[in-house]
Amino acid sequence: MVVSVKSNDSAVDERANNLVRQARLAAAVFTQYSQEEVDKIVKAMTVAAIENAAMLALLAHEETRMGVTEDKILKNYVASEFFYNQIKHKKTVGIINEIPEANMVEISEPMGVILALAPVTNPTSTVIFKSIACAKTRNSVIFSPHLMAANSSNMAAKIVYEAALSAGAPKGFISWVEKSPRLRKETERMMVHPEVDLIFATGGTQMVKAAYSSGKPALGVGSGNTPVYVHKSAKVSSTAMDIIISKTFDNGTECPSEQSLVIDREIAEPLLSEFKRLGCYICSDEEVEKVTAVVIDPRTGGMNYRLVGQSANKVAEEAGLDVPEKTKIILCPMKGDIRHHKLAVEKLMPVLGYVIVDSVNEGINRALDINYAGGTGHTAGVFSEDDDVAERFAEAINAGRILVNSPTSIGGLGGVYNNLNTTLSFGCGTGGGNITSDNVGIKNLMNYKRVPRRKNFTYSFQTTKNIYVNPGSLDHLKGIEMKSAFVLTTTSAEKRGHLEMVLDRIPSDCRVSIYSGIGAEPDFEAIEKAVAAINAKGADTIIALGGGSVLDAAKIIRLLYDYPDADLKELSLNFFDFQDRMIEFPKHMKTKLVAIPTTSGTGSEVTPFAVVKDSKRHRKLSLVDESMLPEVAIIDANLTKTLPVEITRDTAFDALTHAIESLVSTFANDYTDGLALESMRLIFEALPEVLKDPENVVWRHKLHNAACLAGMAIGNASVGVNHALAHALGARFNIPHGRANSVFLLSTIAYNARIPSKFVAVSNYPVWIADKKYARAARFLGLIDSVDSKKDDPEAVKAAVDALLKAIADLARSTGQPMSVSELGVDLEEYKRAVPMMVAGTVEDMSIKTNPRYAMMDEFTQLFIESYPPREI
Amino acid sequence: MAKAKGKTEPVRILGSLDKGKDDVDRLVAASESDIILDFSACTFISVDGIEWLEELAIRAESKGMKVRFENIPPAIYKVFKISHIDCILKACGAPSTAIGPVC
Repeated sequence: MVVSVKSNDSAVDERANNLVRQARLAAAVFTQYSQEEVDKIVKAMTVAAIENAAMLALLAHEETRMGVTEDKILKNYVASEFFYNQIKHKKTVGIINEIPEANMVEISEPMGVILALAPVTNPTSTVIFKSIACAKTRNSVIFSPHLMAANSSNMAAKIVYEAALSAGAPKGFISWVEKSPRLRKETERMMVHPEVDLIFATGGTQMVKAAYSSGKPALGVGSGNTPVYVHKSAKVSSTAMDIIISKTFDNGTECPSEQSLVIDREIAEPLLSEFKRLGCYICSDEEVEKVTAVVIDPRTGGMNYRLVGQSANKVAEEAGLDVPEKTKIILCPMKGDIRHHKLAVEKLMPVLGYVIVDSVNEGINRALDINYAGGTGHTAGVFSEDDDVAERFAEAINAGRILVNSPTSIGGLGGVYNNLNTTLSFGCGTGGGNITSDNVGIKNLMNYKRVPRRKNFTYSFQTTKNIYVNPGSLDHLKGIEMKSAFVLTTTSAEKRGHLEMVLDRIPSDCRVSIYSGIGAEPDFEAIEKAVAAINAKGADTIIALGGGSVLDAAKIIRLLYDYPDADLKELSLNFFDFQDRMIEFPKHMKTKLVAIPTTSGTGSEVTPFAVVKDSKRHRKLSLVDESMLPEVAIIDANLTKTLPVEITRDTAFDALTHAIESLVSTFANDYTDGLALESMRLIFEALPEVLKDPENVVWRHKLHNAACLAGMAIGNASVGVNHALAHALGARFNIPHGRANSVFLLSTIAYNARIPSKFVAVSNYPVWIADKKYARAARFLGLIDSVDSKKDDPEAVKAAVDALLKAIADLARSTGQPMSVSELGVDLEEYKRAVPMMVAGTVEDMSIKTNPRYAMMDEFTQLFIESYPPREI
Repeated sequence: MAKAKGKTEPVRILGSLDKGKDDVDRLVAASESDIILDFSACTFISVDGIEWLEELAIRAESKGMKVRFENIPPAIYKVFKISHIDCILKACGAPSTAIGPVC
């Protein structure tokens, strides 16, 4: 049937319009009902359905001449009593689900006006079920009954509707199409009516297809062809009885009922004997031909609808078989390839095909043959005392409900044999052309309004567990428990005497091996060599002695030493969500890492970061995870006394950049702010003094502390756009990292202090406050008068930001630190040519993820360009 | 109550509007000025209530008068929105949705 919208029958239109208008108004009114009011209505409807279950069953049988009256009574009970018991405590009004762990609630919204089709096979139970489901979910429902069952369907609708009205339901929330020759036309009309919100189609294939072709949202059902595998471990007596109960239920009209059995050879004989003993008839090959001739419609290859719901004796009589009176089921052996067997299709009558198999694999495959012969997504069954077999079967078969050791028809209805949702409408998923594979019920008749609250961000603060501070703290090495140490360092540290200082303090009973082959910015190859060295020597402790490169390398070497299968490329995968990374690092490191910085810059001794160069691909990979944190950091300024002035300055500006960027980071918090501010104060105070008197250990100590504090700040709040620019510049023109940072600093502060062209979409950063944070730094550093009452005044904020910029420029000028790219000796034309490539690098840089301003590509370009000429500040 | 002529006073709908209000019907019959219904104290509206409002609006329109709804609580306004009755939506000052629900 194809839905037509061209009907000129005005009487049909008028009737359809009236029904739909009535339902529309009722749906509108229903939105005001409380859960208590709804539940009262549902209860009244259920009582009415139970009181009339037998009468309606009798009426349905008389009208349709299908099935068994007694079974139809049970179906009516399933649709009312069983269904009610399942849904009576379910919330369907207001907040229906609270999900505290997701900080979210779900609120129901009725679907509206539902056009419900009722099938000839279950004309009253379907109506009872759908009416109660619609009432519970505050929907209006218009029933379109099957023409051959319209009187009984409509009687069921009338009974539950009147009960609902008495309990306070909105007038007209249940209605029905009266039996007439135009019933189908009216249904077609309503299927495309703009005021119908949903079609709930339970019925024949044509009606379901018509519903889907209407363009409306539709809940349909698929056709069934239930395979049931009987494994050799099954209990013969109960299996036979369950199958008989199921297949004879309402003379097989239930679509989940068994259609073909797949029986293990070991159990076939006793099972068939049991069937025979209990009153089933097993056909000879010749009789199978006769049964097939009447059961299957030769024109369609499908079942003969004339015999749907008829008794086994009636089918036998039609087939010319002489079977005993009250025969329960006609069992037909299916010989040959069942994929071509005419009986291997749906037969809604007490006729059951069977095939015998020799293994589980063959059994499942034959079941799949049945399943995929018109029954995908619907129902299947397995009888087995071996759970593994049941699971293998369920894994292979495509069915919305796979019943284990129970009847598939009554089992499929839910509630009687299991805890499936009670239904008279079997969703079959995409296998059956449906949107759901559920036992369709109230949950499918509500719209779900999800109300997520903003994510609650919880910050954690991670840093190195033991930090030993003060000149002379290297002595703490003596107390660290270690049996075999691998000292990772540079030739420079060796020359400056640092290595000797370390070796003197390692416990005498500790075996020591030294590797001093780590240069500046090590690449994979350098790392691999060091890993080979530590693997050869073995160690329970790695002592990293040097600048940021050595400390970073040590973290990676430890990772690969402890976990040789770790994939650095995979672990360096970029990420957006700091709190929910896709990549998982090993939880715990096995080897202790002692980090001893000899420069005052990166703060790597207290950060979870490590950078490694991928020389082949000309890029740097960043590894970030708290497991990378060293266990011990020794901040001994005696090791920095001989640091050359140029490196002292570069690294100090690196630390200053860390402090400034972490202060305005989207992940900044009270913990990191304190560290960042104090770090800045120490740098402003100590750097000029260190440069005047490089061997003054007190000022060196202050600067060393500043770098460590800034390291803790970035270790938890990360950095920002300045680092992204510096990484790109450094990689392209081989500029030391601290110097590369300093040339962008004035531009990026000014950039971040302006109202962003685009705000960052981060839940924990609800208000852009970068400018105020810079102003706060200016106040903290004593650059401006701290007048709290006016501190947030825009002009005051701007003046404070300007003061900060000037202070940084003055610091750079007084210490000789370059503040523009041109001062680095980079050729302007070459620089301009490199800008697009550098912009591409910054876009991918992890640093920008925590910048307080959403950085756009054209803005990166502008930042590169404006950072070239000498600063005029 | 609305006056027969001159300035229009709003008519308050109190509690549940589950059937027609005779006094309002009489008012429409007697009045020549626009009718204003104040829904601020309306707690529920039934199908009969909706149908009465529709009829009221149609009758008023036939007399060249207008009906206006004021202070409509969201729950009642939602009923009007879902009902898709043009003259009621017009009385609410909302655009007509005669063509039915559209995206």
